[in-house]
Amino acid sequence: MKKQSLLLAITALVALAGCSEKNAETTEKAIASSTTEVSKPASSDPFKMVLRHIHIRETALPTLKLLEEVVQKTEEEVPGLKFTLDGVEDTVNRNVKLKAEMASGTQPPIFSLFGGADTQNYSKAGRLLALNDIMAEVGIQDSFFDLREFTVDGKIYGLPESGYIEGFFYNKKLFADAGVEVPTTWDDLLVAMEKLKAKGITPLAMGAGGGDGWVANMLVNNLMIALGGPSLQEGFASGATKWTDPAVVETFKRVADLVDKKYIDPNVLGLAFAEGQATFYTGKAAMLFDGSWAVNAIIGDTSVVKDSTGFFRFPDVDGAGDGYINGGWSNGYGFSADLKDNELQAVKAFIKNFYTLDNQARILGETNQIPAMKGITEVKGASELITMIGKQQGSAKGAYPAFDAFVQTSVKVELETIVQELLGGKIKPEAAAERMQKAQESANAEGK
Amino acid sequence: MSKIYKNYTAYFIFVVPALLLYITFYLIPLFNSLRYSFTDWNGINDPVYTGFGNFAKALADEKFWVAFKNNAYFVGFSVFIQVPLIIFISIIVSGVKRFLGFYKLTVFLPSILSTASVSIIWKFIYAPEAGLLNQVLRTIGLDSWVKIWLGDEAYAIFAVLVTNGWQWTGFYIVLILAAIFAISKEVLEAGEIDGATGWTKARLLTIPLIRPVIGVTLLLSVTGAMKALDIVLIMTKGGPFGSTELMATYMYKQAYSMNDFGYANAIAIVITLFTALVTLGLQFFNNRSKEDAY
Repeated sequence: MKKQSLLLAITALVALAGCSEKNAETTEKAIASSTTEVSKPASSDPFKMVLRHIHIRETALPTLKLLEEVVQKTEEEVPGLKFTLDGVEDTVNRNVKLKAEMASGTQPPIFSLFGGADTQNYSKAGRLLALNDIMAEVGIQDSFFDLREFTVDGKIYGLPESGYIEGFFYNKKLFADAGVEVPTTWDDLLVAMEKLKAKGITPLAMGAGGGDGWVANMLVNNLMIALGGPSLQEGFASGATKWTDPAVVETFKRVADLVDKKYIDPNVLGLAFAEGQATFYTGKAAMLFDGSWAVNAIIGDTSVVKDSTGFFRFPDVDGAGDGYINGGWSNGYGFSADLKDNELQAVKAFIKNFYTLDNQARILGETNQIPAMKGITEVKGASELITMIGKQQGSAKGAYPAFDAFVQTSVKVELETIVQELLGGKIKPEAAAERMQKAQESANAEGK
Repeated sequence: MSKIYKNYTAYFIFVVPALLLYITFYLIPLFNSLRYSFTDWNGINDPVYTGFGNFAKALADEKFWVAFKNNAYFVGFSVFIQVPLIIFISIIVSGVKRFLGFYKLTVFLPSILSTASVSIIWKFIYAPEAGLLNQVLRTIGLDSWVKIWLGDEAYAIFAVLVTNGWQWTGFYIVLILAAIFAISKEVLEAGEIDGATGWTKARLLTIPLIRPVIGVTLLLSVTGAMKALDIVLIMTKGGPFGSTELMATYMYKQAYSMNDFGYANAIAIVITLFTALVTLGLQFFNNRSKEDAY
């Protein structure tokens, strides 16, 4: 190879020897470039790769820093590689940009990916790289807590960056003022809410207005599984279980009851998700039902409750799902199936460098998120709140993913609408259950 | 020079760039949309032909008709409240002798703001606890009037309509003002000599003379109302429970929340058809009233 290139360069030199002075400079350049090519191996040809991430908010700076360090390390290991970091807002990436790219097959080599329906659709279209072999090669095939949301027909198409669990954040000071203990059963929770309300404190902060119906669905999902057990939501799409089953109807009744008794912030439909969070962390409400991602907002600069917030998992309801916790690992990185050899090498190096126990410990300690990989023994700098969340996770019987991993998108959107109607007092629990079942049957019939 | 007028090649050369842009950015997307509207397509996998299935679905879809009803509110608000208000304010401002520039600037200001900014400003105004509107109502003792403006089905769409009106009224006022100032002084003076003053002058002289501009104003505000999207997307995202959904936001939801691009394209075609019908109706009305005027 080297000899051939040199020979070509010399031939070019000879051919140009008779040229005029004007061409002499060009000839020199030609030689110079030929010489450069000769001195480097073919695999070191410079190449660029786009890495699409969603860490663009100020609260995500530590996560971005970690990613940048991995990128730098990977660039050092793979000759010629230069990453271009492309930060895009998460919903824009998920719902618009990545979707359009997937439709036309122009997805970046590495991108932020959600498990569940997204992964299923993209893998069916042949856009996603199956990672089973790479994981075995890197030695991380058994390292993750849960890859169900990224697995389709036994093939793993994405690796989660971190996880979440859902539960109640509570204001310790307001609880103490109202003489309320941390509730362990649903009845205790209702007693606590009544006491708080009597003191003029909004018991439960929530912002589920506009397009944020999903916020209320977290509570519905947890209550539904507590009453009916984790298998309840797994059967909706197959018809094995129904939205009109007693556990779901009871869930809707209890949510309507929380609304009637004004335990949920009466402004719920006028507030967006972030505004609901703010009601809690500005000390105006005693509880917030949210995912562990809320920790960064709760211990953020504008919070007045950063040192007085606790966390408890969903209280027991005397149902089949008592002790289970809603948690999952649904957001991480996916990789394009359409990669050149050198890009595939880069992807392998990225996976090897990103998915390490050290990095996962940093995800817990520096970014206050639940790790995706097992085996972390030592964590530096984790906040008291995330440690408490970790303990609650550890004390649970098991975890189950959010219901939307098992139902069609149209069903998920319909539940958002119906639960908003419940919150607005526009629909009766039984009618809500029937409409949900109708939406489910129509989605099942359409097969999407 | 006259040679160029007869040279059809020159015509062709001048027309081609515009024609290409029109075909690329208007006709091709429109025909693609039409093509996909007859399919079941999730935006990724291969589209499957379903005939008129999506159109039948739209006609039977209650939520689509809620959205249509809201578009009708938008149109009705434009025609029966906004445009008369615009004409009224324009006639008053046109009679102002001092600080005319100040008035013009003040009413025009909201329309130079982006819809995103306007929507966010008004979201703050309507906020349940800290919002300006509820604060003012509480201060003046009208506590029972305090509402969750954007979270209550009964008020949300009207709250959005007021915001939309606030944003665009100024723009049309400036348009109508320009038309009023373009009326020849002689005509107005002749009218005044004949005894037309105040509202008689406005009714019998000014309004008939600016009728073409009123027609354009109506056309622009009605077509704007038919395809409105951004203001609802930012202020309420169609909520609470779909009560402020517009046809365009419903289309957006079908595409980007439900992954039903086939159905979304069918809705897009229906919006185009409805808008074309309304526009034709308005044109017809304009032409007839023009004939009546002469």
